[in-house]
Amino acid sequence: MTQTSILTVDRLVKHFPTKAGTVRAVDDIAFDIATGDTLGLVGESGSGKTTTAQCVLGIYPPTSGDIVFEGATIGVMFNRRSKELKRKIRIVFQDPGSSLNPKRTIKQILSVPLRVHGIGTDRERLTTMSRLLEMVELPPADYLYKYPQAIGGGEKQMVAIARALATNPRFIVLDEPTSALDVSVQGKIINLLMRLAKELNLTYLFITHDLSLMRNVATRVAIMYLGKLCEIARTEEFFRSPMHPYTNMLLSSIPVVTEQEESLKPKKIVSQGEIPSPVNIPPGCSFHLRCPERLPICSEVDPEMAIQEDGRVVRCHLFPAR
Amino acid sequence: MDRLLAIKDLHVGFRIFEGQLRVLNGVCLDVKEGERVGLVGETGCGKTTTVKAVLRVLPTPPARITGGEIIYNGQDILKMTRRQMTMLRRHELTAIFQDPLQSLNPVFTIGTQLRDIVRDSAIGRGQRLSRREVEARCLSALHETGMPDPERIMTNYPVQLSGGMRQRICIAEALSTNANLLLADEPTTNLDVTIQDQILRKLDELVEEKGASVVMITHSMGVVRDLTQRVNIMYAGSIVEMAKTRDLLERPKHPYTQGLMASVPKLTGEGVSEGIPGRIPNYLDPPPGCRFHPRCEHRMEICEMTAPPFFETGDEHQVACYLYGGKT
Repeated sequence: MTQTSILTVDRLVKHFPTKAGTVRAVDDIAFDIATGDTLGLVGESGSGKTTTAQCVLGIYPPTSGDIVFEGATIGVMFNRRSKELKRKIRIVFQDPGSSLNPKRTIKQILSVPLRVHGIGTDRERLTTMSRLLEMVELPPADYLYKYPQAIGGGEKQMVAIARALATNPRFIVLDEPTSALDVSVQGKIINLLMRLAKELNLTYLFITHDLSLMRNVATRVAIMYLGKLCEIARTEEFFRSPMHPYTNMLLSSIPVVTEQEESLKPKKIVSQGEIPSPVNIPPGCSFHLRCPERLPICSEVDPEMAIQEDGRVVRCHLFPAR
Repeated sequence: MDRLLAIKDLHVGFRIFEGQLRVLNGVCLDVKEGERVGLVGETGCGKTTTVKAVLRVLPTPPARITGGEIIYNGQDILKMTRRQMTMLRRHELTAIFQDPLQSLNPVFTIGTQLRDIVRDSAIGRGQRLSRREVEARCLSALHETGMPDPERIMTNYPVQLSGGMRQRICIAEALSTNANLLLADEPTTNLDVTIQDQILRKLDELVEEKGASVVMITHSMGVVRDLTQRVNIMYAGSIVEMAKTRDLLERPKHPYTQGLMASVPKLTGEGVSEGIPGRIPNYLDPPPGCRFHPRCEHRMEICEMTAPPFFETGDEHQVACYLYGGKT
């Protein structure tokens, strides 16, 4: 799998020192993404999903660990990365209302990445921008000269996607691209992203807290809890038989709409306890305080990531390595 | 079952610089005694405005209630005096809002805030409680919501607690009044799913125990399915469909409800639908007739002229859409 993987994250650690103590936002995680795949990174708030993404993008330098992109180590701040690398890795943020400059027209917003990366002459850029808008299904004549506040939330997010596509990237980080939107517009954005991935052979790191959405978009799913990964598996296998107790709790907590879905959920595991503060992570397995199946060893020894028979990775004492 | 709350043809507008925002456009909503009713709609469709109108906490101006009635236990809330309203809020109506950080006062401890509520709601019922009784009721209210160590929580400020704990405080405050009607305005939208599950389960238990009626406002169909018996779907300031919850989720009738149901990503993994084209109308100049017609794929001529009334389609299932109007 390694020869086709576009991004490999190995033993990534990101700590933030604060007055109250060190926040272990990302604590020793490892995963890889194969070219053309969509990895869904799922977790509750404060679990370190966004920090992971920001390390990949170079917004933060990692405390330790490696990030390998297309065979080269890239674990440094973005200002020390080559322009070529920045062209290849792009991001779409959660809230298009704050990621698009309200004082610039859409044409100006889209022209920034083109100018920075020196793509085309002035005249060519206008055609490129029209093509970008067409790619995200917005008629260029209607939208190029509008300001972000004049268009709806879903359309703004499409402009943000067009901006990410402007430099012809290979890899896009989607940081909760639809959580700020209503479900009736979410569908359109998701279908657009999936179509673009196929057409342009893009690879996504899709961050979300919505497992039902993940079921429909991701090829593989990684579950994060308090800076650590609990489970990585292919989507179908994951939803057919989740292994980690936290994943079971998460799945059984989702409110669903139909009988058919209800039958797919694992038997009711009652959610209990609070998510501990990342400054003060309990010893041993970070989930043991809330875990319904805890063993004596859980409060002492932190389990390792263990590869199971079917190739999935679980970090739990219940499932030791084979 | 008796009717506890009946909202009839409620119209609310907001006066702004550009003109009049006509937000609520004839909202009708019934809540029977002991019943749990869901109110579902997308951002900006007027769910919160409806709740605020019932509690009479809409800032007027800019808001203006331009028509309709809100009948609570036979009396029109909109015609009540300030004094009557205070009494009503003390022990009849109560609410939980979306963001507990905004509904809790940051400069007072939880104890101070909770004691005030317990004392005043008792006064509303004509009782005077001793300090010790107030203290005991506060602690038991916190205890009921599954809070560990209530004594310590009483001395904490809201910022010292996590989001889930703050929302539990709000639930404790709301339920300690023993109110007849609880208006829960997206109580778990800001919370993570595992915490949401805990909070909703707790709320469900406590409401069951106290026999209160609930209006559950949310944009999540899943939450409604678990918690309510009847549901109302709201779009752009009016109710478009009302039915028993199971019935509605299995057989949505209104084109908007159908679109909404199809847009919800499912665990079965059959892909995501395209959603509903277009967006919610501008309230300054809402479309005439049915407000959904510009986005509707079944629109007819009549939809653009007059707003549809409710048509009965069997078993308390009512739809405001001409598709179900018969051929008269």
